[in-house]
Amino acid sequence: MRKKLVSILMASAMTISLMACGGGSAPATGTDESAGTTAESTETAGDTTEAAETTQETTEATASSDTASGEMTEVGTPRNETLIVETQTPTDVPGQFNTYMQGTTTGFGIHQLMSAMMWEMDTAKGEQFGEVADGMPESNADFTEHTVKIRQGIKWSDGEDLTADDVAFTFNMIMNTPNIGASDYYNSIFESVEATDDYTVLIKTKESFPRLAMKMGVTIWGNDLRIVPEHIYSKVDDPSTFKDENPVVAGPYTVKSFDPLGKWVLYERREDWQNTTVGVVTGKQCPEKYVWFRYLGDDTTRQMAMIQNEVDILCEVTPEILTAMMSSNDKISAWYNEFPYATSDDPCSKGLAFSEGQGAPYDNPDFRWGIALAMNFDEISMNIFDGAGRSSPFGILCNTSAFQELYAKPMLSWFEDFELDLGDGTTFKPWDSEYKNRMAEKLGITGDDAYLEDMFGVGCLKYNPEAAEKLLIKAGLEKKDDGWYFGGEPFTINLTYLADTEAQAGRGVQAAYDQLTKFGLNCNISSESSATWDANGGTGNYEIAGYWPTGFITKDIYSQINGYDADLIVPLGEIGSGQGVRWNNKEATDIIHKLAKVSPDSDEAYELAQEFIKIQFTEMPFLAFHSGVKFVPTNSTYWGNYPNADNAYNGPWWWWSCFKYIMTEFTTN
Amino acid sequence: MKFRTYFLKRLGTWALTIWIGVTFIFFVPRMFPSDPVESMIGQISARSGSMDPVQMDALRRSLRVQFGLEGSLMEQYTTFLWKGLLHFDFGPSLMSYPEPAGKIISTYLPYTVGLSMISTLLAWIIGNLIGLLAGFRKNKRSSKILEGIAICLYPIPYFIVALVLQIFFAYILGWFPLTTTINSFQGFGVFMASLIKSSILPALSLLLVGTGWWIISMKSLAATTSEEDYVLYARYRGLSEGVIGTKYVLKNSILTQVTALAMSLGGVFGGSIMTEIIFGYPGVGTLIQKAILQSDYNMILGCITISIVAISTATLIVDLVYPFIDPRIRYS
Amino acid sequence: MKKFWKNANFALKSGLIITAIFFVIGFVVYLIPHADPFNFNTYQPKLGASAEHFLGTTSMGQDVLWLLIEAIHNSLVIGLIVATIGTVVGVFVGLLSGFAGGALDRVLMVVTDTFVVIPSLPILILMTSLMKGTSTVILIALVLAMFAWAWPSRQIRSMALTLKERDFIQTAKFSGEGTVQIVVTEILPFALTWSLSNFMNATLNAIASESSLAVLGLSPANLISLGNMIQWARERNAIFNKQWLWIGSPIVATIVMFIGLFLLITGYNDYLAMKRGR
Repeated sequence: MRKKLVSILMASAMTISLMACGGGSAPATGTDESAGTTAESTETAGDTTEAAETTQETTEATASSDTASGEMTEVGTPRNETLIVETQTPTDVPGQFNTYMQGTTTGFGIHQLMSAMMWEMDTAKGEQFGEVADGMPESNADFTEHTVKIRQGIKWSDGEDLTADDVAFTFNMIMNTPNIGASDYYNSIFESVEATDDYTVLIKTKESFPRLAMKMGVTIWGNDLRIVPEHIYSKVDDPSTFKDENPVVAGPYTVKSFDPLGKWVLYERREDWQNTTVGVVTGKQCPEKYVWFRYLGDDTTRQMAMIQNEVDILCEVTPEILTAMMSSNDKISAWYNEFPYATSDDPCSKGLAFSEGQGAPYDNPDFRWGIALAMNFDEISMNIFDGAGRSSPFGILCNTSAFQELYAKPMLSWFEDFELDLGDGTTFKPWDSEYKNRMAEKLGITGDDAYLEDMFGVGCLKYNPEAAEKLLIKAGLEKKDDGWYFGGEPFTINLTYLADTEAQAGRGVQAAYDQLTKFGLNCNISSESSATWDANGGTGNYEIAGYWPTGFITKDIYSQINGYDADLIVPLGEIGSGQGVRWNNKEATDIIHKLAKVSPDSDEAYELAQEFIKIQFTEMPFLAFHSGVKFVPTNSTYWGNYPNADNAYNGPWWWWSCFKYIMTEFTTN
Repeated sequence: MKFRTYFLKRLGTWALTIWIGVTFIFFVPRMFPSDPVESMIGQISARSGSMDPVQMDALRRSLRVQFGLEGSLMEQYTTFLWKGLLHFDFGPSLMSYPEPAGKIISTYLPYTVGLSMISTLLAWIIGNLIGLLAGFRKNKRSSKILEGIAICLYPIPYFIVALVLQIFFAYILGWFPLTTTINSFQGFGVFMASLIKSSILPALSLLLVGTGWWIISMKSLAATTSEEDYVLYARYRGLSEGVIGTKYVLKNSILTQVTALAMSLGGVFGGSIMTEIIFGYPGVGTLIQKAILQSDYNMILGCITISIVAISTATLIVDLVYPFIDPRIRYS
Repeated sequence: MKKFWKNANFALKSGLIITAIFFVIGFVVYLIPHADPFNFNTYQPKLGASAEHFLGTTSMGQDVLWLLIEAIHNSLVIGLIVATIGTVVGVFVGLLSGFAGGALDRVLMVVTDTFVVIPSLPILILMTSLMKGTSTVILIALVLAMFAWAWPSRQIRSMALTLKERDFIQTAKFSGEGTVQIVVTEILPFALTWSLSNFMNATLNAIASESSLAVLGLSPANLISLGNMIQWARERNAIFNKQWLWIGSPIVATIVMFIGLFLLITGYNDYLAMKRGR
């Protein structure tokens, strides 16, 4: 470690001395040798315009760094003016910024910094607000005509005004370009979209469409509707093949440069920030002059880069990585600065999906409940993320803090009184409200009930092998001396998970394999690559797997559950539009049909949602372990005031489109 | 005359090999229970939460048509043979539709070729020299030490070597960047500097693990050869060790090594996956890996076809050159 | 036997000892009854070395020592199966095509070349993603063996081509020996040296290929192998959390195992040479 310190000191000393000599070139993180080469070759290639630009750039950079500490990034921007954000996948099509062209890596800063959304999400409140739209849409009584006001004052980065014409143009462009993925869908929904004046759009839908803002605006992550400038896109032959290398945008940043190999994109703040979407909505300027989105590679590299302050924000890591980083660099922090470190408010809970299209016993609620009670959730929780995470025993609805307040707590007595018929004349109450206290004791956490409930959840499902045995027997399984049998054959469960990507889901399945094996069931476990995984998920070609067809973001749950409409189920082996678990339940389907026609804000919608939650708790179509647990590290060496548990002005969702609003709150350190 | 028949026959083998290999690669991925359209939809809905069923259906239909997966398997195959094999036009990448797969490959290929070819060649030269010395003068202390180093380096799994180099030189010492960042917008000088700085560690890692095998195999070849009667005879004749080493031992042992080199040069396409993952180095290795994991048929075909053609051609050349190196082999 | 040991050189002796130790661990110690080391939460997690757990425990509460023993067993099995198939098939095909010549040679070489030119790692990735749920030690060994025979057969063929023209073969031919007899009596011993080192190399290659698949997350998820052990430790960030015993033991085992095998081969070659010289 001392060696490292010495070498860092030497490197920075060299850098500073080089700068002082005026020979310092852009990438100053390296050794004297490479810096020397750079300066030399810049001079030798001096007759091209490109090199001339470089020289200018260099001078400019050197000048601005005189006032600052002088550190430069590898792309030649002053480090203390540059926010460095990790992106999880590199792009194979660098320079492609048109999100209506397939293959564009939207999460590479494009929707975080440049896109203009109709409605954005305030993840702290769980409410939408208008970004391009001025407020929420006004609809007629049967939700077929919607009037949307457009914000005044937003300008495109080339100085043109963003008006209702751009919005109407974007809708019509999608509908008239069959190669845009969403085209068919838009045509099936919209009758017409037109601008009635400069700042008003009138949208007519073919049928009653009560959720316009939710479908066309951001709820989770982002939305595929991004307003484009009419004066650019109307001149393009086919918007689905237009790369848009120099995008004209309404967001607060424009592209300064990008890597032709697809590993990074450098964004620069717009000079006229007051006229950008964020400027008009919040009146605030993003303090970061440059934002550098870069791909860092595997986990080892990512953590080393963050420890060395080469990146300010990482998307998501495992707790082992986070604690290792925090112990090496005290500027690194996460949502909580101590256990559990992670936020449990990611809207996708992870657990076990049963392929109910496989038939018995997977389509039998008794079997699924049997599996649930056969597993010790405390141990599973320790195996996944060392006990961190809020339990989410609510099936396909994720127990975010909003869900817990809106639904779980008001319905708590129902869960506590819920009884299972074990088939031998006895009943069993599976609700376990002691989970939070056991974990607190085990992990040495102290706090009042509200604190522990937020950390570990209001409860979980009990571990009870005897009840589990009875339920499995009720479901038609037989227990013999050499293991379990079903239909006269030895019974084996195949468990699968997605290789290498989703740690929470993968570890959950591994832990479940361990629990079920110990319980006495014969299991296999295997991991799959994403293509196989996705295809099998659709066709139902699995038995129990770590899929996550779950969610919860707004009080209205319709968009989370409409895939469970039993009318959408197709036979096993085919891919339908519903969820691959093929949960066939008439009552649930009726509720989904009713909800489709009801205004999302009405009391009726809330009651229907509660009804749905009860049905699916009884049937347990999906066995969830925790809500989405995300370890989201930040490094406060150069930037500060990141959102965290004590300062939760927004969620830590760097890869969502709302990142541009989070960024306005950052401060320089 | 004889050379001509041999040449034509060999050329026939070459074409046949490529055809069988490519056909294999065309059909195998398509027999799998995976589907590029589902993979794409899976990705889209994974990041945006659940997707509206109607929307998902519409998207699925339009993707099927666009990806050209509508025709029968035989139709797709003939199209591929005609366009892909003869014109190197593999169609659009499915994951980065509609960018042509060939274009994406050509962006990354120079980096793979540059890094892997250079380090493979260097490893081959260094390894064979050391191996020759170790095998030919096997009782010298210096040969034993060199050999010992090779034995200790060779068995370490590649990713461990790479990881240790990265942790030591990039993280603890900070001499090299942790991950490859190529800065291409500030002029050629900056570009070259960033490229070289980023390439040293990956090249070193490939060199370290590559050399070991060449030392070991060359050593055993040279040791066998130096037991041969003609070498012993040369010793009796009082020829200098240097002359014996190069003229007899090297010349007779290098043959096997040349074939092996030709094949391993082709292997750089698949073998660079780990280098690229650990050092974040651009290249076709990760391209292939990603394509396989996402069932991007056209991209898999593109990468592997190029690789197959490259290796076959390399072995073809070696076979044609063989008789010039070793006169004992005749064209037959 | 005693005489053999007396005449054996240092490399051969140490190679024999190291290899024997690994075989004892992998096939004898392995038989001692023990709890399934894969089970989670069997012990307290993250323990250091102690009398009870010589190599400590993993973050999932598994005993590292037993995990290692099982991994050595499985990796050896994989390596041996692959090397045996690869070497036997490779030598057979190589000699056959080298000596038979003509149409048979060309057919065999086209098939061999096809397997040589297809890059193996991508195909292995493809294959393993197919073998969902059913992947066992034997199956993964067979998949790896698919690519293990082609190179040796090509090498042996080119060796055969060189040998074919040698004087002693020509002499044998003139003295009326049949091709098969020549191959068995004259060529095979010559090819043996090379085959043995190829066998060792194939064993290691198989173990390394399996490790590569493991690092890419594609080796069977419940197969305890050296590669998977390293990967599990990496997944739980053992390097940066300084769980050296967990991440280090499979790496050290792999390296020592190879050094042992290698010393065995070189020592044996020297031993043969010495005997011939006498």
